[in-house]
Formats: sequence, structure tokens, C-alpha cells
Amino acid sequence: MIERQLTLIMENKPGALARVVGLFHQRGYNIDSLHVDPIEDFTRYKFIEDELNIKFASHEVSRLIIKTTVEDSLMRQILRQINKLIEVIAVSDDESTYLKGILRDENLL
Amino acid sequence: MKLAGNDMLIQSLINEGVEYIFGYPGGAALHIYDSIFKQKEMQHILVRHEQGATHAADGYARATGKPGVVMVTSGPGATNAITGIATAFMDSIPMIVISGQVQSHLIGTDAFQETDMIGISRPIVKHSFTVDHQKNIPQIVKEAFHIATSGRQGPVVIDIPKDITNPDDLFDYEYPSEINIRSYNPPIEPELSQAERVVNAIMDSKKPVIYAGGGTISSNASDELRELNSYIDVPVTNTLMGLGVYPATDERFLGMLGMHGTYQANMAMHNADLILAIGARFDDRITNTPEKFAPKAKIVHFDVDHSSVSKIIEADIAVFGQVKNSLQLINSIIKERLDELDKDKFDNWHKQIAEWKKLHGLNHQMYKEESDANPILPQAAVQHIYHASHGKAFVTSDVGQHQMFAAQYYHFDEPRKWINSGGLGTMGFGLPSAMGVKLAYPDEEVICITGEGSIQMCIQELSTCSQYKLPIKIFNINNLSLGMVKQWQDMNYEGRHSSISYEDSLPDFKSLVESYGHIGIKITKNSDLKAGIEKAFAIKDKLVFVDIYVDPNEHVYPMLVAPNGSLKDMWLSKGSKT
Repeated sequence: MIERQLTLIMENKPGALARVVGLFHQRGYNIDSLHVDPIEDFTRYKFIEDELNIKFASHEVSRLIIKTTVEDSLMRQILRQINKLIEVIAVSDDESTYLKGILRDENLL
Repeated sequence: MKLAGNDMLIQSLINEGVEYIFGYPGGAALHIYDSIFKQKEMQHILVRHEQGATHAADGYARATGKPGVVMVTSGPGATNAITGIATAFMDSIPMIVISGQVQSHLIGTDAFQETDMIGISRPIVKHSFTVDHQKNIPQIVKEAFHIATSGRQGPVVIDIPKDITNPDDLFDYEYPSEINIRSYNPPIEPELSQAERVVNAIMDSKKPVIYAGGGTISSNASDELRELNSYIDVPVTNTLMGLGVYPATDERFLGMLGMHGTYQANMAMHNADLILAIGARFDDRITNTPEKFAPKAKIVHFDVDHSSVSKIIEADIAVFGQVKNSLQLINSIIKERLDELDKDKFDNWHKQIAEWKKLHGLNHQMYKEESDANPILPQAAVQHIYHASHGKAFVTSDVGQHQMFAAQYYHFDEPRKWINSGGLGTMGFGLPSAMGVKLAYPDEEVICITGEGSIQMCIQELSTCSQYKLPIKIFNINNLSLGMVKQWQDMNYEGRHSSISYEDSLPDFKSLVESYGHIGIKITKNSDLKAGIEKAFAIKDKLVFVDIYVDPNEHVYPMLVAPNGSLKDMWLSKGSKT
């Protein structure tokens, strides 16, 4: 078991964070640390806009950074469960990225 | 057009083509109920308990494929709906639950009938919305229906504070014709390269099995599945949730698999070299010990939900997309390559399966045992119900032994006819879900096969059936105890029957249902069984409750050996295993 860092991009809406935190508890995963902030400058994540063909305004989406300690085999399952949340736009760990409806095998976030 | 929030909400439901709302009024929902009173397009079905409303909407959704709609008030109205929402969530059933909420300025003050419905329901909904302003109502309702009915379907909660439905505040109303949620994009079309890999795997296999589940029904892919097997002609098993998606009377059908699956279905899965898992999720009632599951099989998994694939059993080939679209693509490829497929290579496999079936297949000859010297066997009761209804009825069920006997001995040839709580295993589901089915299909035969334990969990809905004149046929497989719990106590706790009996305090069901204006029939002897069941079906315009006293010591077999067993390890009868 090693500590992993996940990055999520999700809609900045009331209740959205609770869904992510709730999912970790519900599925039996532990959160070691959690950081959330609304994204002001989206330049770094422009590939998401390009890939999904949408344009984000400042503070419209948030970035979550979550550290968790899990077995390797569980990591993909966590990513896929998070990706299933309706308000999540993208989620990535050290190896793979999941954009809405698209599964990729490279770290983009 | 300018409307108040309450009228907007109701008009939005009308715009979605809703026929029935299942619900129960209360303080926070009063404005909404006034709007329901003023319209004619939808009928509100007043249940006797909010759990009944959710199961009725659920039954409606399972039978029709359209989302069921539930309306409840805040606080206890909302919490009473929770079991039904969880039931729909576990089985991926589209449902919209609208819960009233206390006025916005009271939220967080522990107001009368206040509860955090969004918080309580969060782990058991696909998504949920709080309505913060009237102008957002049409958009939220549209999004809720879209989310509930697309991708992997599921329940969506809309929590709406009372002030938002105030009839005095008018706002512009326009119902959106299209919807696009930028963060939500479930897969629909499969990838061609994956589909070709699947076809190659079929061509290379010698012992293939199709394992189809509830997702195949949700995706309305029964025709595509049948078409696929018309080309490849391989054995098919269905999960509890999938029964009917492939015809049970077809020669290639193995029966249900898993915990109480048939011997031949479990043996075929264990010995297969290729498993085509279609809209099924390898849950623990199917796999037994995952490490020992189908050791020789290549796994192909068709699913609309990325997170279902390789969750429990690692897939060798994953096909993401709507199962219907995926099977259409597979079928179009196979049709082109039919000359490559040597179907004779499956002959030995078919022979082996026929031997398994002959050796330990379900005993269909129970009629011979029917003398009054023996108690009624529950399996025999289900077989009589099957024949008397010509195998064509909608059958809802509760949870326990009767549910397994119904799944084993009522042979479903069409999808959406078998309505039961597979994932959550909710006792009390049978009667209210039958109400939803009967409202959707008033001219079809609707049966509820239940037990004396389960029926009492939502028995108040007999009153609803009376009010709306729903001539359902209820068969109460009465073994005077919580049969499935008792079976486990027999098998694992040396017969210590802890808290499973209420023999001396059961109601006289015949008198009970008659007090609601229904017809009751009590059957205690084998010689009355066939005639009693046929008599129930001869009554067309009334609800008939048939209370059938069966052998209280009967167990459900086969049964997987757990823990640490594989699919080939089964109890076949009391004291005898493979």
C-alpha cells in the first residue's frame, strides 16, 4: 500500500464535495488529506476544454487534490467510481486520466 | 407563460409524459398537491406508506422501462421513501423522487418535519438536486429525467423547499426541449476494435456461455441477445435480475445461475472457456469465491458503467456502451463472418450440459408427490401458478424462499415480466410493485408471489388496491416462519431457530383481505391446490389473495457452498452436496 495523489476537476456547486467525500467513506477508502479550491485560471487545463469542447468561466469549476493510501488494484476502481459522479469533469492519478465518458491511460492533470 | 413554482413542477412532469405519480401528501408538499388537484393529465395514486409509493413507482418502471415518479413530503415522508430509493438504486431502476422540504429560511433550524433528504439519500441515488429558485425548476426536472433514464439508470431525488412552490410567486416557464450536461456523458456506442476482439474470442471458443443480467433488460436488448444466439447457438444463463431476457423455454437456456442457480448453469459457468457477461455485474451471489470463479474462462464484459467492469472479476475484453448498441455491432460483424463459425465444435459442450441437466436439474416432476399424506411443496405451488397463468403473467415477488422458488419454477419467456428486488433484497416490495405494474398494464395478468413474512411488511397497500380497484392475484407461500433465515439456521447454526417464528400470531389472511373488500382463498391440502389456484385466476375483476400453507421444513436447492466454495460446489438437497 502506498500513498497516492488524485486530482479532480469538478463543478463548483453546493454538495459536490460531499459526494466525493461520501463516496470514499461509502466504498471503504480512506482520505489522508484533501485540498479544494475554485480554479481562477484555466490555462493549465485547457486540454479538458479542447477535448470536451466546452469553455469554463473563472470559479465555475473546482480542483480537488486528495491523498489516499490504497492497494494498487483498488486505484482504478476508485478512479472509475469518482468519474461516475455526475458533477466530476475529470479525475487523474499518477498514471491515468478519466475524462467524462472517456478512459485514457496517461496522466494529464 | 408565467407559472408559480408548484405549477411549474407539475407542468414539467406533464411535459415529460408522466402518467402516474405515486405519493403521499403532507405539509411541505401542500402547494404541489394543490397543483396536482388542478390538472387532469396525470393520476396521483395515494398509497398508505411512502415505502409503498417508491416500490409502486419502481414496479411501474421495471415493467414499462419508463421512469417511475414519487411525491413525498419532508421529514418522515422523505425518510419512509429511503428503502424504496435504495431498492431502485441497487437494481439500476429509473425513478424520480420529489420530496417537499421546509421553507428555505428554516433549513438548518431543526424545523418541524425537517430532515436533510439530500444528505440521507446521497449514497443511494444516482444524483440529487435541491431547487434553489423557481426559475430553475424546468431545467432541473429535465436534467433529473435525463440522468435517471440514461447510462446506467437509477433514482434521482429532487428536494424542493415549500417557499419555492408558493402559488403567489410567478415566473417565466419554458420547458427545455434538449439537455446537455457537460460533466455527464455515459458511453453509448462501443468501440469497433473491441467488438471484433469479442467475435474472434467466440470463434476461438469451445465452451462458451452467455451470462446475461438486468442491464440487458434496462437496455431493451432482449431481441439483440436472441439474434446473437440465433447465429452462435450457445448455452445461456440469466441472473435473478435478467430472467426473461432470454426465453426460459428455449433449449439453450440453462436457468438462473448463482446462489440458488441450477446445477447445469453453475457447472457450465465453472467449466466454460469463454463467458460473455452482458449487462451483469458479477456480484457475490453469482461468483461465490471470486478467486475460484470460472478458472478456465476468458471474460468478456459488456457494460454501460465503467466502474462495473473489472470490479470483482477482471475482464479480458471490455465493451463499454449501451448493451443494445454493443450487441447490434457484434451481430453485424458475426453475420458477415458466419462461414468462419464451426458450430459443430460446440457439440461436446452441449452434450456435457445435457448430462448435467439430467443428473441434477430442477425436479419438474413434483406433481407426482401430491397426495394429502404430504404437505404442499412450495415448488409445486409455483408450478401450478405457472401453468394456470400460461407462463405469461407479470410476476412480482418479495424476498426469501418463495422468491427463489418463483425464480426457479416460473419460466419467463419475455423481459420485464419478472419484477423483484435483486440487489437490495427488500421484503415488502412485492405487493406495491404489483400495483405499479397493474396500473401500467391493466389488461394483463399481474401476480405477486410472496410469503407471510414479506407481505406483512407492506400489507397496508391492500387498502390502496381496494381504492384503485387493482385486481392483482397474490399468492402467499405460507410456511409459518421466515423460511430463508430458518434454512440458514438449519444449515449453519445446528437448527437453532432464533426469532423466525410467529405461528400463533399470524392473522387469518382470508378474513383480513376480505375486510379490505378483496377475496381470500385458503389452501391447506394438496388436493385443493390446483383447483384453488385456478379459481383465483377465474376471478377477473377482484383482487384475490390465495393463502397457501406449504411444508415449513422445505429448503431451497441448489445452494452454493460458502465460504470458500466455487460455482461447482453446491448443496443439492439436505445433507447432500457435489
